[in-house]
Amino acid sequence: MAHKQPLEQSDTEILLRADGISKGFPGVWEHLILDEIDFDVRAGEVHTLLGENGAGKTVLANILSGFYSSTGGKIFIRGEEVKLNSPQDGLEHGVGMIHQEVMLAKPFTVAENVALGTEDSDLSNPVSRVEREIIELSENYGLEVDPTVKVSDLSAGGRQRAEILKVLYHEPRVLILDEPTSLLTPQEADHLFEVLRSMADDGFGIVFITHKMEEVMEVSDRVTVLKLGKVMGQKMITETDEEELTEMMLDEKIPIHLEREEFEERNVALSLNDVQVTGPRGNVQVDGVSLDVKEGEILGIAGVSGNGQSELIEAITGLRAIDMGMLTIQGEDMTNPSTRAVQDQGVAHMPEKRREIGVVEQMTVGENVVLRNYRDPPFSRYSVLDRQAITDHAQKIIDEFNVICPDIWKSETRILSGGNIQRLILGRESWNNPPIIIASHPTHGLDRRAVSNTWELFITLRDKGSAILLVSEDLDEILSLSDRIAVMFKGNIVGIVDADSADKNEIGMMMTGA
Amino acid sequence: MMKQIYTRLKPIITSVLAGLVGLAGGAIIMALWGYPPIAAYQAVFSSVFGSLYGFGSTLAQATPLILTGLTFAIGVRGGLFNIGAEGQMFLGAIGAVAVSLISLPVGLHLIVALLAGMLAGALWSMPASILKTTRGIHEVISTIMLNWIALYLGMYLVIDWLGDPGRAEKSISAAPTARLPGMLSGTSLTYALVVSVIFALIMFFLVWKTTLGFELRVVGQNPGAANYAGINENFSVHSTFILGGMAAGLAGALQIVGHPPTFALYADFSTVRNLGFDGIGVALIGRNHPIGVIFAAIFFAGLNVGARTMQITAGVPLEMVRIIQGVIVIALAAPELLDFWSKLIPGIRNWIGELKGSS
Repeated sequence: MAHKQPLEQSDTEILLRADGISKGFPGVWEHLILDEIDFDVRAGEVHTLLGENGAGKTVLANILSGFYSSTGGKIFIRGEEVKLNSPQDGLEHGVGMIHQEVMLAKPFTVAENVALGTEDSDLSNPVSRVEREIIELSENYGLEVDPTVKVSDLSAGGRQRAEILKVLYHEPRVLILDEPTSLLTPQEADHLFEVLRSMADDGFGIVFITHKMEEVMEVSDRVTVLKLGKVMGQKMITETDEEELTEMMLDEKIPIHLEREEFEERNVALSLNDVQVTGPRGNVQVDGVSLDVKEGEILGIAGVSGNGQSELIEAITGLRAIDMGMLTIQGEDMTNPSTRAVQDQGVAHMPEKRREIGVVEQMTVGENVVLRNYRDPPFSRYSVLDRQAITDHAQKIIDEFNVICPDIWKSETRILSGGNIQRLILGRESWNNPPIIIASHPTHGLDRRAVSNTWELFITLRDKGSAILLVSEDLDEILSLSDRIAVMFKGNIVGIVDADSADKNEIGMMMTGA
Repeated sequence: MMKQIYTRLKPIITSVLAGLVGLAGGAIIMALWGYPPIAAYQAVFSSVFGSLYGFGSTLAQATPLILTGLTFAIGVRGGLFNIGAEGQMFLGAIGAVAVSLISLPVGLHLIVALLAGMLAGALWSMPASILKTTRGIHEVISTIMLNWIALYLGMYLVIDWLGDPGRAEKSISAAPTARLPGMLSGTSLTYALVVSVIFALIMFFLVWKTTLGFELRVVGQNPGAANYAGINENFSVHSTFILGGMAAGLAGALQIVGHPPTFALYADFSTVRNLGFDGIGVALIGRNHPIGVIFAAIFFAGLNVGARTMQITAGVPLEMVRIIQGVIVIALAAPELLDFWSKLIPGIRNWIGELKGSS
């Protein structure tokens, strides 16, 4: 993407400036989440906040937009000190934030969501004016959304565009986007970058949060690197490169080893034969899939999300009924088993919806560590839970998998960051080298270090003989990890290729049905 | 260290603060209507703590509330809004009375009576449980209906089948072999209190220390995660209902075998009515925790006992206590207010810190 001429720093107006912002969560974390952060965004620029998970990017963004209050420091908007007590305050001062998880009411239309929280609606048809204005806004900025469509019927990208429009409706000057590409397809992400660029050209100040280096290089004018709540450095994008930024962001460079052992004879651990799964409205989600996953093999399923991958995994793990076909696990017919029977057959499951079903957020870390094997000794005997055994086990997983949590029994799991929850699940599902692992988007939302640790873990498990079925939208991940790659499109496996001879473009074509 | 203690105490602090808000709210209302709040609270306090009789009565009244509070509390832990304690308790009382139709040795007869009460309560919770798991009918609807069915079924049974031949207004009394002995002479307090406290401790153990309770709590917090973990959701819903029904049934049974002087059920159900609904308030104040419920029940009962003295000595209507209880429950039930507490408590701590710092 073509960059504009670098902005003359002194010429452009500083829209938003943070001065020595600090944040601690008393009772939860001993150290500060943000430690005297200085940050500003000017009219006409895209200023990227770069950092690993837990660096404090989201917390800073939430403070700048009024969602959180800071425990120290000042915020200036166009030179004037302000106190933002709520997101409404932020919007009134012209600062709007697009959250990573979309905050829209699903049963309502786009226009109704936008009208929520606004006061200037017509009495007779409250949303008609809003609808007109949305159409206008969406044409201006190239954000294509039908305002009369229910949010629940929109794709992830559509929801995000709706969310951006909702914020734009309040006519902000500063737009903060927290990891906006994490749910988008590559095309949608490219489109978003174009929109952001044109908005910056119109005089908006854009704060863009990410941990993906390609995006930094593609979209930013300026970049600030955060690490563990501190600013590590700030650069104009023209004066830096990926290597320098990576060094600032990480402690050390981490190589990714994807060498693996060769196996001669391998048994089939998991086998699907012409499996068909129908969705709640009678639509066929998985349409006759046949697959074999062998011991000591990672079979990657590539595909654009929504092509039946989730349904396939739910069918294998007993969460969804198989209408036709046969599922064999470790040689036993497991068509339509109970979830527990699948589990007892040695199938570990790292689900896509980590916070929703992977953990019980309101329960403690200790309880979540045994969520799937609380019935097994030593965690319980004669149906009585053994707290000491669970504590020891939880401590082991926390240490081995680097889960940052204040206390095993006192912290509710909800206070853990997404990355820590994922490491908790990885640890829980893999500590006993399960013969079969079903992993869905295992590194989604993780930072580079966590990704490479997870990849290493998967390779180790594979070398120890686990059969791993990996679903991911990240093609690089599929290519680095898999022994074989199955491409899924519209509920079908459209092709299976060996990973070492696979061509990225070819797989990309297959994913889009070409 | 302070922080850890604070985190642990937070539910208790919230409840105590809500209690104080309730008392203060009651005081304001009394003052507005021209009643003397201080004299009223003195009367409540002295009636509860001023005499052994008053204290004994308080504990005696707390006894069934502990159990009906448990019904609701366990329900909440298991993801249910089980307001059927009332009906389950009626049936429990009927069960305990019915056992007095047969004769059994001392001790065994008592145990059988308690078990019959628990069984009857548990059985009466099953229709709601089955309707929920098979037909998706919300337990609030079904338990309310079952409460009324239980009331009129109970009246019919008391009058037509279990009536005292000599006294038409009540059922037969529990057989002497099935009665619980008094605990504090000169008061109505019996060992029923001990039974209900032990039951609460058993429930605490079941819900927090066993795999059954673990499943119950996972289902209660996150049915999706329960599914993922291979937990049978329906089984867990049934267990939650059954445990709650047992608690309510035991409350009813204790109101028979541990309730002197009549050890019987009146045809108008006056000795058991509303205890099930009061349990909801008790559970809320006790933060749906078995141990918290014990103390909340005593607090609730204290207000009830004091209410009469308050009316006599301070001239404040009995219903004022209901207002206080209502204010407490509202203070606890409104999530916004809870949020308000969570901000207020650190605020007060800061304020105390500043006071200390400046002195």
